[in-house]
Amino acid sequence: MKTGKSLYLFVLPGLLIYLVFFVYPTLNGLVLSFSNWDGFTEKTWIGLDNYRKMLTGDDIFGKAFANNLKFMLSVVVFQTILSLMLAILLTKNTRTNVFFRSLYFFPTILSSVSVAFIWGFMYNPNVGVVNSALGKIGLDVLSHNWLGDPKIAIFSIAFVQVWAHTGQMVVVFVAGLQAIPHELYEAAYLDGAGRWQAFRNVTWPLVAPAATIVAAYTTIQSFKAFDLIFALTGGGPVYSTEILSTYIYHTAFQSSEFGYAAAQSMGFMIIIAVITFGQFKLLRGNRAL
Amino acid sequence: MKKWFSVTVFTLIAALALAGCGKSDSSDSASVASPSGEASAKSSEDPGKKVKISFVHWRGEDVKVFDELIAEFNKQHPNIEVEQNVLPSEQYLASAQAKLLDGTAGDIFAAFPGAQFETFAKANLYVDLTGSDFVSNYTENLIKAGQKDGKQYALPYQLVYNQPIYNKTIFEKLNLTPPKDWEGFLALCETLKKNGYIPIAFPGADIGPGQFINSMMMNNNTDEDIWDKVETGQAKLTEDWFVKTLSQIKELNDKGYFQPDSLGTSKDIAGSLFAQEKAAMLATGSYMMATNKEQNPNLVQGLLAPITVPADQAVYEGIHTTTFMLGINANSSKQDAARTFLAFLSQKENAEKYANETGQLVTVKDVQYNTPELAESALWTEKHTRFHPRYLITVAAIEKAVTSSIQNVIAGTDPAKAAADAQKVVDQNLKK
Repeated sequence: MKTGKSLYLFVLPGLLIYLVFFVYPTLNGLVLSFSNWDGFTEKTWIGLDNYRKMLTGDDIFGKAFANNLKFMLSVVVFQTILSLMLAILLTKNTRTNVFFRSLYFFPTILSSVSVAFIWGFMYNPNVGVVNSALGKIGLDVLSHNWLGDPKIAIFSIAFVQVWAHTGQMVVVFVAGLQAIPHELYEAAYLDGAGRWQAFRNVTWPLVAPAATIVAAYTTIQSFKAFDLIFALTGGGPVYSTEILSTYIYHTAFQSSEFGYAAAQSMGFMIIIAVITFGQFKLLRGNRAL
Repeated sequence: MKKWFSVTVFTLIAALALAGCGKSDSSDSASVASPSGEASAKSSEDPGKKVKISFVHWRGEDVKVFDELIAEFNKQHPNIEVEQNVLPSEQYLASAQAKLLDGTAGDIFAAFPGAQFETFAKANLYVDLTGSDFVSNYTENLIKAGQKDGKQYALPYQLVYNQPIYNKTIFEKLNLTPPKDWEGFLALCETLKKNGYIPIAFPGADIGPGQFINSMMMNNNTDEDIWDKVETGQAKLTEDWFVKTLSQIKELNDKGYFQPDSLGTSKDIAGSLFAQEKAAMLATGSYMMATNKEQNPNLVQGLLAPITVPADQAVYEGIHTTTFMLGINANSSKQDAARTFLAFLSQKENAEKYANETGQLVTVKDVQYNTPELAESALWTEKHTRFHPRYLITVAAIEKAVTSSIQNVIAGTDPAKAAADAQKVVDQNLKK
């Protein structure tokens, strides 16, 4: 019994870090969210005013949330599908496949700010390679002001996010695909299944847990895609790429409304918690498949 | 069990104590700050002892010239060492906050005029410089941005003209002169366009809207308190003057007087279009003239401002800003040393060195400028210019709504709708 209790000491370092770096800042943020504070002068207690403003009197917060959903859905759908397709093509451990897996993984090791600088230059409508390449192959009609057009800017950034992280997800899918026993495919083909039927009835059910992990990870990743957006557009033009994390930053560090930013952070935390909970339920469901 | 309980309680206390170490409580800081900002309140220097002071600013491009000035300062004051702490301008307020409040850095620090200066002043971060000898080295009407409640809290060091730069060679070749009214400005742009030039290089992705709004609105609404009225609900962005401003910007865009896809163009790219003489005007300000000249030494540059009204109704000829406002931290324990350094920077010969090596005009009197760009900009000190209106917007969310409305009309939105959208944000952020 004594030995059992002493084992609790092993969790202390982790508990300490958790308390200092998560619980304390969260509680502090919660208290701050009920105040009006510019970062310099005295805090004043304003009760629920910040929450009232966030929910009823701040169109930009709603717009940022909508942009977050647009960004998340674009990234989750395209990144999951693309990485699964690439993983299926690269499942076998041949030299060529290992080379391509490494190649696709490469953008993952770049920092988001580097990725943003590269793509910011490529997307530039005056000197960027994207429009000039489209022009060279006769597709001028597809040339756009990729980051300057409020209608498409968020999707242009979503594309960069997909480019940067697909390789990482390919690795997860490849691991899932390699774990599928080959005998199942042999049995399916003996029963007369075609490639699509084999995918639908063998591959997909068994790779579904990996797909859920990919979707969950991608969702959280896209909700927190602060650095890429901040470095590419700073939330503009006309708030079209403002997401919750960039808006919270702007509220705190440009508007100096730290109390309101804390309330927004609480709202953001609840949104992330709800999404994570939903995905957790989904993940459990898929494990049961 | 008791032991286990003690360990847990100790851990919790240690955790909270450790977290508390990093806390910079505003009330604590405020209590040590002198409400009046008197220099003597926090000065605890020993005259014979070597003192190291921190100079916090955002101008990374000026580090070299400041290093040279500091070396010169050290010859005169060997007991005072000056260390530069350069923080990025976009995050200046956030980065400087903790350092300035606890006085660990920023014994002397720079600030932007307007909202940022107001925030620092409200937090009692400034020593009152009123009556200091070196204040008289500055042109009196150019240091007003650093005054509050009748006291001189900061000294704006730089003088900037936030209005388009133009290529004099192109203008002379096409026999063009800076126009005196809106019709003339449109005709000028049309001539430039017909001759194969981009009339205006507009950095719509970053600084363009925030710069161009100033000269575009200066004569549409000549009330210098207009932004205060907007922020308090006494005036609205849906009124004629603002809708007209947006309409005129949209007109410039729709007639192709900005480069294509201007909302995707950054300051650097717009600057390159101008330096390469593809564009005849650059919608930024005098602060870019030195950089343009570095890119193209043959460039001959001038300043102009679009006059958006008939010539006889024009009140202002251009826009000026006095910025890089130097102040002494009221929380510093080395205020005397910081004051000595500020006095040194305020001397004519040192301000002159700063101006000529950085390509920036200064507010110090009788400075001689030795580059054509500075000499050209200095001519504007004689003209009737208005203080940068956008800096008078003190609520960042409103400032962003205003600049976003410009991007909105360039993206195709009707000016009245863009103004209404911006007003909605203003209504949600009205000053109480």
